[in-house]
Amino acid sequence: MNNDYVVKMENITKVFGKVKALDHVEFSLKKGEVHAILGENGAGKSSLMNVLNGIYMPDEGQIEVKGQLVNISSPKIALDLGIGMLPQHYKLVDVFSAMENVAAGSRKTTPFLNKKKILDEMGKLIAQLGMDINPNKKVYEMSVAEKQSLEIFKVLYRGADILILDEPTAVLTPQEIKNLFEIVKKMVATGCSVIIITHKLEEVMEISDRITIMRKGTTIQTVNKAETTPQELAGMMVGDMMELNVPYVPVERGGKCLEVKDITAIDRNKVHILDHVSFDLYAGEILGVAGIAGSGQKELCEGIAGLYHLKSGEIIFEGENIVGKNPEKISQMGISLSFVPEDRLGMGLVSSMDIIDNVLLKDYRNKKGMGISREVSRDKAEALVERLNVSTPAIENHAVSLLSGGNIQKVLLGREIELEPKLLVTAYATRGLDVGSSQIIYELLNEQKVKMKPIMYVGEDLDVLMSLCDRIMVLCEGRVTGIVDPRKTTKEAIGLMMSGVMNEGEAGCSIS
Amino acid sequence: MKKRLGVLMLALILVVVSVAGCSSGSTSKKDEVTKVGFIYVGPADDGGWSQAHDNGRAKMVENMGGKVETIVKENVPEEKSAVVSTIRDMVDQGCTIIYGTSYGFMDGMVEAAEEFPDVKFEHCSGYMTSDNMGTYFGKIEEPRYLSGIVAGLTTKTNKIAYVAAMPIPEVIRGINAFALGVKSVNPAATVNVSWTNTWYDPTVEKAAAEALIQQGCDVTAQHQDSTATMEAAKEAGKLSIGYDLSAATTMPEVYMTAPLWDFGGYYTDSVQSVIDGTWKSQQYWGGMNDGIVLLDDLTALAPGSAQAQVDTAEAAIKSGQLNIFSGELKDQTGAVIVSAGTKMTDEALLSMDWFVDNVVGSLK
Amino acid sequence: MLHIVKKDVPKTREKIVVRLSAVLAALAVASIIVLVAGANPIELYIGIVQGCFGSLYRFAATIEKMVPLLVLSLGVMVAFKMRFWNIGAEGQFLMGAVGTTLVVRLLPDLPLPLMLLLMIVVSFAFGAVWLMIPAFFKARFGTNETLFTLMLNYIALTLVTALQYDFWKDPAANGMPKIANLPENALLPSAGGFNLSILMAVIIVLAMYYFMNRSKIGFEIAVLGESENTARYIGINVTKTIIIAALVSGGLCGIVGMMQTTGVSGALSTEITGGLGFTAIIVAWLSGLKVPFVVVNSFAFAVLLQGASYIQTAFQIPGSVAEMIQAIILFFILGSEFVLQYRFVSDKTKSEVA
Repeated sequence: MNNDYVVKMENITKVFGKVKALDHVEFSLKKGEVHAILGENGAGKSSLMNVLNGIYMPDEGQIEVKGQLVNISSPKIALDLGIGMLPQHYKLVDVFSAMENVAAGSRKTTPFLNKKKILDEMGKLIAQLGMDINPNKKVYEMSVAEKQSLEIFKVLYRGADILILDEPTAVLTPQEIKNLFEIVKKMVATGCSVIIITHKLEEVMEISDRITIMRKGTTIQTVNKAETTPQELAGMMVGDMMELNVPYVPVERGGKCLEVKDITAIDRNKVHILDHVSFDLYAGEILGVAGIAGSGQKELCEGIAGLYHLKSGEIIFEGENIVGKNPEKISQMGISLSFVPEDRLGMGLVSSMDIIDNVLLKDYRNKKGMGISREVSRDKAEALVERLNVSTPAIENHAVSLLSGGNIQKVLLGREIELEPKLLVTAYATRGLDVGSSQIIYELLNEQKVKMKPIMYVGEDLDVLMSLCDRIMVLCEGRVTGIVDPRKTTKEAIGLMMSGVMNEGEAGCSIS
Repeated sequence: MKKRLGVLMLALILVVVSVAGCSSGSTSKKDEVTKVGFIYVGPADDGGWSQAHDNGRAKMVENMGGKVETIVKENVPEEKSAVVSTIRDMVDQGCTIIYGTSYGFMDGMVEAAEEFPDVKFEHCSGYMTSDNMGTYFGKIEEPRYLSGIVAGLTTKTNKIAYVAAMPIPEVIRGINAFALGVKSVNPAATVNVSWTNTWYDPTVEKAAAEALIQQGCDVTAQHQDSTATMEAAKEAGKLSIGYDLSAATTMPEVYMTAPLWDFGGYYTDSVQSVIDGTWKSQQYWGGMNDGIVLLDDLTALAPGSAQAQVDTAEAAIKSGQLNIFSGELKDQTGAVIVSAGTKMTDEALLSMDWFVDNVVGSLK
Repeated sequence: MLHIVKKDVPKTREKIVVRLSAVLAALAVASIIVLVAGANPIELYIGIVQGCFGSLYRFAATIEKMVPLLVLSLGVMVAFKMRFWNIGAEGQFLMGAVGTTLVVRLLPDLPLPLMLLLMIVVSFAFGAVWLMIPAFFKARFGTNETLFTLMLNYIALTLVTALQYDFWKDPAANGMPKIANLPENALLPSAGGFNLSILMAVIIVLAMYYFMNRSKIGFEIAVLGESENTARYIGINVTKTIIIAALVSGGLCGIVGMMQTTGVSGALSTEITGGLGFTAIIVAWLSGLKVPFVVVNSFAFAVLLQGASYIQTAFQIPGSVAEMIQAIILFFILGSEFVLQYRFVSDKTKSEVA
């Protein structure tokens, strides 16, 4: 390893609308190193790499590649500079073989395929990297790991020597991760430089030479692996405890309302997205759910609401097991369960409909007969708008998609609370909302808690979770790594649980 | 999103209606002009059937010298409601006699004739008549027989292609006449029929012709309204008998001759009788003697011996010496349908549903 | 390089201006073709209007063209509301006509009211089944309904061709491939050029207005069309809703088969649809899938169709020119929708938009 910088990014700023995704970020990559970028979701890791790969143009700042000041305006230009990014969603043609996928779109390819030449070249590279690729195997016969190897290979074949891997291990088994790291090490040995985006601390410690920690669109620090510990990294990743104006309301919690036992679910990639999750939920408490995005939060909420297929386990609500029941059945059983989904306009509301019709969504079945009546819903919509101070020009003929994010969430949450549910599940209830709107949402939730409602609150901001919730359940890769009292735990400990480095009860975790 | 469009269209319509209302005085008719309607199944310049009628119409207009005005509607489908609404439009425009030039217009014309008893209707090739509806047609089988002689003398493979529209008596009669003409000079040759189920569809017609040529046919004949069959023959380097109109200038590479229609004389007489008030419902069925059908002059591509044989046969037909459909005639199974020495009746001819024995092809 | 970018929702005034100019521009461009064809455009456009409203008969002809288009468009609209792209109205129309003819062939002696009632039921069922097939496959296997319904059009057409040329060929027609005309006791009563299908259409319009705007199932269809996730979230039975919508959509198109066979054509034939099943798609779409606008736009299209037919006979312009005028008007109107919803940006401003 030497000290030649192949990439130098200085003062990079990128603004989307009012959000500063990147705020004067500094980043550098040395030749022949593995450089990990570590950070929570929304920290700006992917945005930074998209700038480097020519997908976003930065609003400010400059990029130097191999000593040249460059203007990377497209991925094609990035590739000309030797920068290749492994897409998170693989772009392979299923019915093509590995070789055909490599040849397709490669600028080395002549109009007429010289299969022998490509096979020869592929063979050399494969041997060099010790990859397990059969050039004649069709993509549809490949495992996820094989597809990933093929994608890496494609980028290398096209001449990249700076490789960006965006969360490459999320879909892999431990053995496959090991193989991937072997390949990465060999690539580095042949002179490539690798940037790896991740939030898994143990992987960072295993593979990287240097680590850049990002938080909320800024670079916190770049450290050498040898000079740091997972604890220190977790601390930098989550930051110091912030004083928030999120009120905690102490309530003497009531009886057990919801009992989740050992639920397991499998996603499309055959990964255990929920892995024997068990917990209880009591009346008059807010149970926070923390975790890196994609750790199973969405599936947990949808599983409870009857929208995601659970492979095994039980969810006991009011003495009945609701696993295997769809929302229609659940409501027919007389169980009123309100779920405020993460995807407000795509699931919770109909974006093109007005507030009345969106209130009607949960009301229309109550009327007898074939018809619907908008009168009741109109009254409810008016009351909702007034009580939550929803800013809208009209409740009729004005699509909810035209409202601001905060007002959309008020409509959704307001509607659900209005139903007087026996269980309230919210997913990322304040995502994208400004401080004032968030405040109203927190107050609404506390109000419900005082009314002795059981509430599950899935969130991403640890500070908020820690001050709002009575207990926090931490998920990592579909497993529960801890259920802790936030007032007796450190943020750092929760950060470690989120990264799967530590489980509840292990040393250093439950110290207040 | 598109809310305003409808309102807008309506507004536009209203505006134009009011404009139209102001100018409606300008549509006064000249009383002395007789308006004649013509309904075609294809475009007026199809190079075939509809054009033959349109040529006849033009000739009639010229002959009548300003006393008539014609209204033409092209591409009318053979479907009752389409025909009826076309006729209503024509009557609306003041037509007092309407010629429908395709067999499939029959139902629509019968219904319209009932609806408009004061309008005269003439239907080409049909069989339904009423007080104000007559039929007219020509014995195209006479020149078809002659064209069969040319084809029979031309073929070397002894296989002649015949691309035909629909298995109705008119077409079958033509095929049989053609086949008998072939047989009279070349008993070994067969006439190979392919149905297209359309009067006018160049793509389908051409495909059918190509298929027959591939089966070894070296002369094509057709009962179709386009020149697509000849086009196929041209591409394959074969020779052709046309139909409806002379293709001597448009298809000089393949065209030998064709049975032709000349409706000019008939339309002139018929329209004149309407003007004179002497029109009567009748079933007109003219032959070569009447000039409504004829064989085109043979081109240089026709075999040298053909002209003499055609001339002889033509003279015999015109003089009544030769009756095409006189016995003995056998059908495809070899059964005798018309015994030796007898002639077919008009009724039998008008409902002909069998092929003579040198025709290859099914009746469906 | 230019990019196409979706615009914000246009203002009402902008919509009116754009659409009005689209129609005027269309008429202006069409005028060139009219002039080439040797007619006076102004007279011709007035002629179009006269051809539609100039007399009671002409008005009746316009309405006769409007009725099937209206009901087909309503049928298409129901499916489209659910984002179920039913391109198969043509086939459902044909199948409805087949069902109608089947009733007459099986029970030729029924009295008129019973006959009509039975034909309505059977044609509805035939059309509905024709759309339920792709609906079932979509709900069960996730097949693409656009292609599926389109292909079923050709199967229906081939079936009718087979019936017309073979199985149901009228032996009395002297070899002419046609299906026998319906007997008197199977024809829709009519008076002065207006037949009973107009009344049927009125009832259907009212029923559909209620169905789409005031019924639970109509609401569920709308929700499902906007977002399947929302539909599942509020507990709508997705499969059941798809099937019901397909039933109504296909059934309505099927009924058009009955109305046209018994009211206008008098016999089933391959020509019976006149391509209206495809025009209905445009009508439904231009109407924003809303019942009142479907009524207005079907009328506007009927005016175009009748007007084009009229000017051919009245002005003796070739059929192709009349069709070109129709096409130009349609093209400009559809184009104006594009202008209203999208705008072009050049590469230089790309980063602002991204």
